[in-house]
Amino acid sequence: MCGISGIVHSENFGRNLLNSIRNLEYRGYDSCGVAVIQNGKIDLRKNIGGIDDVNLKERLDQMQGKIGIAHTRWATHGSVTQENAHPHLSANRKFAVVHNGIISNYQQLRERLLSEGVCFESLTDTEVFVNLLEKSFAESNDLEQAFLTALQQIEGSFSIVMLSSHDPEHLYCVKKESPLLLGLGEGCNYVGSDINAFLEYTRKAVVLDEGEYVILGPNDYQIRSLKTGKKVNKSVLQIDWDLETSKKGGYSHYMLKEIFDEPQTVRQAMQIPKEQISAIAEMFDGSSRSYLMGVGTTYYVACISQYYISTIADRYYSALSSDEFSVVDIHKGDMVLAISQSGETYDTKTALVNAKDCGAQTAAIVNVMGSTISMMVDHVIMQGSGPEICVVSTKAALAQTFIMVRVALELGLIRGRITKKVYQKYQRDLEEFPEIVEKILNEQSGFVRNIARDTSHVEHWLFLGCGVYYPVAMESALKMKEVTYQHAEGMPAGFLKHGTLSMVESAVHSLFFVPPPEQKELHERTLIAMEQVKSRGGTVIALIFQGDDRAQGLASQSVKIPPVSTLFAPLIQMIIAQMFAYYAALDLGRNIDKPRNLAKSVTVG
Amino acid sequence: MKAVILAANRSTRLSPFIETRCKPMIRIAGQYILDNTIRFLKAAGIHDIVLVVNHQQELVRDVFGSGQELGVNIEYVVQDELLGIGHALSICQSSLEKKPFLLVYGDVLTDNNPFLSILQTYTELDKEVAMVALPDSSKEFGNVYLDHEMKISRLVEKPSDDQANYVFAGMFVLFPKIFELLEKNNNDISRCYEQMIETSGLQACLWEKGWIDMIHPWHILVANRMLMSSWETAEIDNSAELRGHVHLEGAVWIGPNVTVESGTVLKGPCYIGADSYIGNNSLIRNYSAIGPNSIVGYGSELKNCVLFGRNDVGRLSFVGDSVLGENASTGPGLTTVNHTIDFSPVICQTGQGTVETGLVKLGAFVGDSVIIGARHVLGPGAILNSGSTFPDSVTL
Repeated sequence: MCGISGIVHSENFGRNLLNSIRNLEYRGYDSCGVAVIQNGKIDLRKNIGGIDDVNLKERLDQMQGKIGIAHTRWATHGSVTQENAHPHLSANRKFAVVHNGIISNYQQLRERLLSEGVCFESLTDTEVFVNLLEKSFAESNDLEQAFLTALQQIEGSFSIVMLSSHDPEHLYCVKKESPLLLGLGEGCNYVGSDINAFLEYTRKAVVLDEGEYVILGPNDYQIRSLKTGKKVNKSVLQIDWDLETSKKGGYSHYMLKEIFDEPQTVRQAMQIPKEQISAIAEMFDGSSRSYLMGVGTTYYVACISQYYISTIADRYYSALSSDEFSVVDIHKGDMVLAISQSGETYDTKTALVNAKDCGAQTAAIVNVMGSTISMMVDHVIMQGSGPEICVVSTKAALAQTFIMVRVALELGLIRGRITKKVYQKYQRDLEEFPEIVEKILNEQSGFVRNIARDTSHVEHWLFLGCGVYYPVAMESALKMKEVTYQHAEGMPAGFLKHGTLSMVESAVHSLFFVPPPEQKELHERTLIAMEQVKSRGGTVIALIFQGDDRAQGLASQSVKIPPVSTLFAPLIQMIIAQMFAYYAALDLGRNIDKPRNLAKSVTVG
Repeated sequence: MKAVILAANRSTRLSPFIETRCKPMIRIAGQYILDNTIRFLKAAGIHDIVLVVNHQQELVRDVFGSGQELGVNIEYVVQDELLGIGHALSICQSSLEKKPFLLVYGDVLTDNNPFLSILQTYTELDKEVAMVALPDSSKEFGNVYLDHEMKISRLVEKPSDDQANYVFAGMFVLFPKIFELLEKNNNDISRCYEQMIETSGLQACLWEKGWIDMIHPWHILVANRMLMSSWETAEIDNSAELRGHVHLEGAVWIGPNVTVESGTVLKGPCYIGADSYIGNNSLIRNYSAIGPNSIVGYGSELKNCVLFGRNDVGRLSFVGDSVLGENASTGPGLTTVNHTIDFSPVICQTGQGTVETGLVKLGAFVGDSVIIGARHVLGPGAILNSGSTFPDSVTL
């Protein structure tokens, strides 16, 4: 996902154009840029980093002119470099283009243009389009015609805005499968990926439909159909809400939006090429000692991974919190895997630097492309979960865990601990996972919400599980603490009787992560702990799998999950616990997306 | 934009309160449900309302008239035969000028303005929108499936016991093409929604604040509690007279010309409607809504209850977790028993059979104009039909 915007005539031009992409920053923030026409020439400034960082480097807000386009990027393909950032210029620097989407046939077009002597600065599909424009204009000398001719040659999904010094009064825009809207002001008009691009300046908007293109002037606009060339009349919408709400697209909180994004996020994680996953597995296999590292939620992801790797690949790697990593005496030949959503986490960065200095091999799973951690390790897996705005991590944590399950499977295969047949069965399970997540979200929300609401007043929680369900319980307890501000403590269910049981009474609630009954040993151990809590008068809430009558009998309330493969039963419980924390926080009226005292990316020590 | 409010249906499950009024005319926390709906519509900029009526329509017309008092225009459309939601909507076509409109089921109640949210989503996306909410129990409703863009991907009309998700919250922004769909589908509105989901798409807008659909009589108490929970300050009319020592706590609302006698304790949130009289040494506890022109006799205790208005509660009575219909009166010494002896959830014997309420505290439902003589005890979940009379219970 990327954000694009354009402005035709506006006061405070540079500042407004910059604000327009700042308001789209939630669509992506690894690089950005602006192109404007000044004195008949295109002035282009772009760089890598968040919008405010780039502004500091390039002074985008100082740019002068009357017409311009801007872009904020979230790289999915191609690395984060200044060259790959948008806008892109044609070779003669008379055309500039911003683009959201993918031109699927750009390789063929690029080769053709190369053979015709065109030089490219970047590897992007967008630069191919802008040079097609230049070529077409050279033939027709008609800008609209050139725009249409170039569009006819490209395939894929895209919304594009073009600026040309041949026509300093108009922007040329097209929409196909990626969103694009017009904003209508007084003597100035706007275009953007969504209304946030111009909501600060005008409340009048026109939504473009599939296959429509627009020539946008300061006082006029013409919308036509790409197919028929006929003019299309569109109604003008009056927008009457605030900026913050509109970014959430109908959801009241990013947290819930991001939980509902999870099926999509896992699909993305499934698409990461096998080679990239096996590369990490091979690094583990080839190293003398290996460590898994993260901090906060990612530490718990590391802990969950520890169990998966141990059960599937028969290898035990220590999971460590990045801030405590200095306890480890790293040697050459060791391997450190770091997990970080932002790729900028201070503690994790510091630990990685030390590990590298000691000669360890390093790898990372990161969500933000171009981030420091992604650049400093020997091998990186980009999880591709899309921007995560809520401070509390949900979809990114799930994707990281899912990727680590894939790593465990590859390692199991390499080490001969699972047969090819078992491996293939697990792969099929993984492929079904996104649909199961979708089903769980759409069939269990009501039950989870009701239990969360009934218990939102509870101030002390014990989150308990055995085996891999134990780190899931710890991660879920952290979620609960972060978003509800209530005390929740995750611990192994078997640990309870060695001390903590003394605090159990009816006001202390216990949430049990009960494995499916077929995981006999873990299931039995969990039920023993449930009995211990119940017999001491504690309140037992349980996440169980359907048909588990024994566990249901021990719980005062339970969420009954449809049967799933034991491979990802813990991940399903992790999702349910995310919803549980969300609905509890909703009932308590907490500041869900920005809990007190917390920041999204902790970049300080 | 115009709004269509469906207020014609007569739902027998709300007996004993539905015989004498349509659902939107149920009075909760001192105001009609319809009053609440219209005020929210007006605050969202909607002034033209098409009101579909049939059952007990005279009461609606008497109270709301042309809408002038509330600053809106109400056009009444009479649904002669009660043939469902699709049919009710289909007869409004000529009133809607071929433009997008808001469809509102008249029996849903919210604690905040939901129309601002649904119009916001509609304006943003220029698509048909359905408001969805998570009810306490999804059994009564069809479930919807949401995809990651908040589009509705599937409808499950009758969810199984192990499914509970968001449901239609009874508010939609629809385009005029719905009328073609209705015609094609024989006015089956569910089928129309399904076709929309399959073809042009139906966007969801999440409602996460208070929402309730009035189905059973005890929902009146749940709704009353929901509305009163949002009260933050006390409001006492200048003309109200509090005699001697009256103790007030929290958000107490007292209407015009109310008299409260000495020794009475009022614990908010609670509501006392205009021209009512509260006798000495009474205890009006939280979530009690006493409708206008009512009398509460000496030494009575009221708790979590709704009195529709023109009620008379005899001295030394206890009314808890109960609803008294309009003009219902009780003799002295009435006790409503509001829980079972073992505190198991109350089961209600309704006209349609036995219903598990899931509520541990539940008293009685007394229909309009019921007369209860002295010294009666009403069991948990008791339903007294409108107009019935129960003579004094005397020992000699």
